[in-house]
Amino acid sequence: MIQIKNIYAGYFGREVLKNVSFDVKQKDFFGIIGKNGAGKSTLLKIFSNLLKSYKGDVFIDNKNLESFKSKELAKRLSFLPQYSDMSMPFSVFEFVMFARFPYMNMFKIPSKNDSKAVEKAMDFLNITNLSERKITELSGGEKQKVLIAQVLAQETDIIIFDEPTSHLDIGSQNNILKLLRDLNERHNKTIILTLHDLNAAGEFCNKLLLLENGFVCRCGTPEEVLNYKDIERVYNTTVVVKTNPISNRPYVIPVSKIN
Amino acid sequence: MLNRRMIFIYVLMPILLFLVFFFSLTYGLSGISLIDALSALFNVGDENIITIIRSIRLKRIIMVCVTGAVLGGSGCVFQAILKNPLADPFTLGISGGAALGASIAFISGFAAVASFFTPLFAFVGAALSVFTVYIFGVKGKFDSNIMILSGVIVSYTFSSVVMLMFALSQSTGVQQSFMWLTGNFSTFDERLMPFVVTIGAVGLVILSLSGNIIDVISLGREKSETLGNNIEKNIKIIFLITSLLIASVVSVCGIIGFVGLMIPHIMRNFVGTRSMLLIPASVFGGALFLLLCDTLSKIMFAPVVIPPGVITSVLGGVFLFFLLLRAKKSSI
Repeated sequence: MIQIKNIYAGYFGREVLKNVSFDVKQKDFFGIIGKNGAGKSTLLKIFSNLLKSYKGDVFIDNKNLESFKSKELAKRLSFLPQYSDMSMPFSVFEFVMFARFPYMNMFKIPSKNDSKAVEKAMDFLNITNLSERKITELSGGEKQKVLIAQVLAQETDIIIFDEPTSHLDIGSQNNILKLLRDLNERHNKTIILTLHDLNAAGEFCNKLLLLENGFVCRCGTPEEVLNYKDIERVYNTTVVVKTNPISNRPYVIPVSKIN
Repeated sequence: MLNRRMIFIYVLMPILLFLVFFFSLTYGLSGISLIDALSALFNVGDENIITIIRSIRLKRIIMVCVTGAVLGGSGCVFQAILKNPLADPFTLGISGGAALGASIAFISGFAAVASFFTPLFAFVGAALSVFTVYIFGVKGKFDSNIMILSGVIVSYTFSSVVMLMFALSQSTGVQQSFMWLTGNFSTFDERLMPFVVTIGAVGLVILSLSGNIIDVISLGREKSETLGNNIEKNIKIIFLITSLLIASVVSVCGIIGFVGLMIPHIMRNFVGTRSMLLIPASVFGGALFLLLCDTLSKIMFAPVVIPPGVITSVLGGVFLFFLLLRAKKSSI
């Protein structure tokens, strides 16, 4: 579905991504991991056409990303940035409705379809009761749900999340990732996300990409990618990798002392 | 919910505006009754009354309404795209540029040669400050903080130059400049009125219809771009339209403070944050408020007419202060 071929990208002469190539298949739950500054966010910006100065090619369904019109791309792919501005006191319903922007006509009057999509997204996230609340008055977890509802209301088959669970406690983090898995499994969405938490990445993703200083270190299933040799080298630390007895997924524990 | 807000904006506000309009039309030194005033509007009745109503009061009222509408609407646009509750024509330096231009016209004596020079100089000054803010804050990559900062810098620099000119000048232009700097609806150039009214009406309709684009811009660059909104292009267009509107009213009628800052904050309580509703509400609100202030300026110290800019600032300051107090209380 998405093919990345020989991508080089950088800011101000510093190369951030070097010869990056990989494929994302339809219905993948695709996690991108790596150290701070390894190029994870840059990669997401290239996908979502926010960074246009790169070498190499990105194809979505065999069509070059560069040849997409911005409105057309907005109907295929939605993006949730790491930081979203929620400082203007819009109501939750109004805020989620902005996702329908690419579908609206010149005067941007919402149609019945638009309202339906918004209601469906809010229903999926169980936030219909927040509809008339102001977004400035919500808690951190509620805000995150509203943002996800907004991405969902855009009705795209590819959804990209930049660190969707940063600043959330383990309970909220689990809830959000379960929601994303639900979207992936039951609603056939292709999900691409960056994660800092290797355990969450191992538990939820079906494909992982490990970036090391802008190069692809490894790309494959969580079992292939989360091996102690690669993780120790990339993160420059000592770890043990075990298998979760319930889900049979790999998890990573840091080791503080080696005798 | 939406319909109630629409009724508020497009029915209640215009009715209120009409009431103040009739009051302002009849209130004056020559004691004209409402019926006389109304018939004079349609060219019926005493010749003198017709002259007073049609060529003095009506023109003044229209100019006041357009100015208030433009200031209210554009303040709302700036606050949304800059995501800053303090943004208005003052903070962006447009008024400062117009003030400098007009002061140069008064003090150099050009204004005395032909009245046309004052708005011309003021417009050039405003255009200069818009250009400066545009180069620093809008061109290339848009950055709202840099834009506000450059606006404030332009504002301070220009007002210092105005003060310097006042300190050095012996001319009677200083007194005239002072009057102009607090708003002037008594002696504006009538020939410019059709232009200002047209530009104001067209511009405000365009801005109101761009409400959703403006809101999506306020979501930030990344979100906005991935929703298919070309943020750089749209910010440029909206910034330039809004600046042109402000520059054209300010250069004709002088500087009126607080309307652009205060009206959107008040209106937000009634119609919410969406620009699609908040911009037209602020347009009506601005016109209504400025017309009230202008009428008060004629009544309060009659027969002396005080500058309307003084009243907007005093009333606006006090009102905004109460609003802030209330917001602070409710948040505790």
